[in-house]
Amino acid sequence: MNVTSPLDLAQVLEEEGYLIDEEAATTLFLALALQKPCLIEGPAGVGKTQLALALARAEKRKLIRLQCYEGLDLTKALYDWNYAKQLLRLQLAKTEDWNQIKVDLFSEEFLLSRPLLESILSPDPVLLLIDELDKSDEEFESFLLELLAEFQVTIPELGTISSKTKPVVILTSNNSRDFSDALRRRCIHIYLTYPTLEREISILGSQAPDLSARLTRDVCEFVAKVRKLPLQKPPSVSETIDFARALNALHKEELKYGDLLGTLSVLLKYPKDIAKLEERLKKWETETR
Amino acid sequence: MDGWNFIRLVHALRQVSLSISSQDILDAQTCLFRFPGLSEKQVVKSIFIHRPQDASIFEAIWRILIENPEGRIESFPEDRTKVPVIDESQDSSGLGGQGVGRGSGGVSLTSKGSILDTANISTLVPFSRLEELTNGGFELEEMVKKVLAELDYYTWINSYDLAYQRSELTEESWYIHQDRRSALISEIRQQLLTAQVSHENSWEPLVRQHWLYKSLSTLTDKEKELVKSSIRKWARKLAVRPGSRWKSSHRGTIDISRIVQQSVQRNGFIFNLNYHQRVPRASELVVLCDVSNSMASFVEFLIYLVTCLRARFRKIRVFFFIDSVWDVSEFVCDDDLSGVKQEIKSSGDKVSSGFSDYGAVFREMAENRLRDVSTRATLIILGDGKNNYRPTQTEYLAQISEKVRNVFWLNPLEIQEWNERDNMMNEYKNYCSKVYRCRSASDLHRIVQDVF
Repeated sequence: MNVTSPLDLAQVLEEEGYLIDEEAATTLFLALALQKPCLIEGPAGVGKTQLALALARAEKRKLIRLQCYEGLDLTKALYDWNYAKQLLRLQLAKTEDWNQIKVDLFSEEFLLSRPLLESILSPDPVLLLIDELDKSDEEFESFLLELLAEFQVTIPELGTISSKTKPVVILTSNNSRDFSDALRRRCIHIYLTYPTLEREISILGSQAPDLSARLTRDVCEFVAKVRKLPLQKPPSVSETIDFARALNALHKEELKYGDLLGTLSVLLKYPKDIAKLEERLKKWETETR
Repeated sequence: MDGWNFIRLVHALRQVSLSISSQDILDAQTCLFRFPGLSEKQVVKSIFIHRPQDASIFEAIWRILIENPEGRIESFPEDRTKVPVIDESQDSSGLGGQGVGRGSGGVSLTSKGSILDTANISTLVPFSRLEELTNGGFELEEMVKKVLAELDYYTWINSYDLAYQRSELTEESWYIHQDRRSALISEIRQQLLTAQVSHENSWEPLVRQHWLYKSLSTLTDKEKELVKSSIRKWARKLAVRPGSRWKSSHRGTIDISRIVQQSVQRNGFIFNLNYHQRVPRASELVVLCDVSNSMASFVEFLIYLVTCLRARFRKIRVFFFIDSVWDVSEFVCDDDLSGVKQEIKSSGDKVSSGFSDYGAVFREMAENRLRDVSTRATLIILGDGKNNYRPTQTEYLAQISEKVRNVFWLNPLEIQEWNERDNMMNEYKNYCSKVYRCRSASDLHRIVQDVF
């Protein structure tokens, strides 16, 4: 991909169905130009993972994804030894020289590559997506520092392995915990937030093209209004799309406050939030009359 | 951007506690050189800002240093009648009233219409007035309030609040009004900060606005979240750190029976020496918090810290007091602190007069509660020491101090305020193991490292 400016990058991402604003495009462009990992933060559902997926498609890179969770360790993220195969090797080699076997057992043949090692060893260009890093433990975060700074990993039995083709690394986080300065310093930072009304209309238009223009605008205006309420979880972009599709499936041509009961659970995920919105809907309805 | 401005920018950002590494500087220079067509501000911001919360301080510094290098806010037009602050084309249906008492100049938000033209917010207050305020040596928040009062801000917002409550204002207009309120306050804060930086000729005013150094009582909701996130981080670190009484101790005594057991398994050879396992001594934490009005915001953070640290202690007891003591330990077991907040708001009114009386509180603790407290307990007192001219009754604090292992006093007032007439800190501190100023998140961090 020959991207020479943030505008180019925004265009190629748009071709892949992802609309990015100018500021985020510039930051991402700089991260790619400097070959540095990019840390994308923001509330759930604003398109952090989708940005990485669209970038992989646009750059024609193989996507390697590591989903983080509490308790994730090196054997799941980087490498593990194939113990069954090692035992078989030992069974077959009872008569061989011990020193020879000892070396063989910890060679690449018995190594099981996990996502991080896979991205380092891959001969083809890859995009490594480390998704929801905030869910992992602090020890894992510290372990990543070598990979993020040098694009290399160290396996005690084998030594240091450097990347063959520098992977594009995207880390995402929902801010459930803060990261160390060391990790942040190694990354270029993007904060994605809810899109503006106009951008959300464009996103909805591209993601659900079968909606009428009236319904698209109505839904986006409604969601923008809902996001201003003090809710436990404001609706995300993906929920806006689902909500619009739900209304379309019900053959609605426009959004009327009185007709929304029953559809709100597509937009909001907590009963408390739904109750709050239902109460507000009555007020909004009287205001519009 | 020329090299001199670049260096000044890096220096300023570092002064206000942002970490800018040499690699960041190299990256920024590379990008500025390779992509001259891109906005310099955007490039520098992308490379230097690693946390979303630092973006606002970057904006403030950029505005002072690059956009407004003369250190002056947009000149205030001499003829104020021509200032296009109010958009008269939009009628506000009679909201607002007459502006009064606008100090040494400026416009009233309540006169005529009431729609602020955001492009001209910066010309609302004359620079001379800002200079006058900064020369007066007031705190930023105090100055913001003064400027807002001079603009009739409070009358202006009251009229909107009233109109909204009476349903004369649609929700849409209400939200627009809310946005304008915050834009106005943010602009005034920025202008005052610019004036302060220019007056003090240092970045210290900006440092004072950093959430880590700001008084815990003046934090915004977002900043409160940041402090709580930091407290969680400190608590996690403490959870894996051995207690202070273990750090300097030796490995323990040799366990002969285990050595013999292990040697039997190895044909009588002794490979390792075994030691008796160290069993942690049960520790107890007693927290005594003044929850009178001036202290409530500080209590919230201390209780949050105690909640995060509860796994480290065998027993935690939390008492609130004003002029009498009541036990709130049950609320501290919840991760959700709404119970504690409610307790601070409601119970205080029921069980006390509202004026702190430390002497009476210590007497009650010593007479009624001390027998349940272990001798190995640590007592933490959070209070400003203001006794409202009541008897100090230090003998009871002395009695408590003799019973427990340590007494730590955390005081949110500045140390010089401890000498004020109604403040008894100087008398009480003689019976404490240590007294700390606990005003900001950084103070709290220091205390966490020292005490726990």
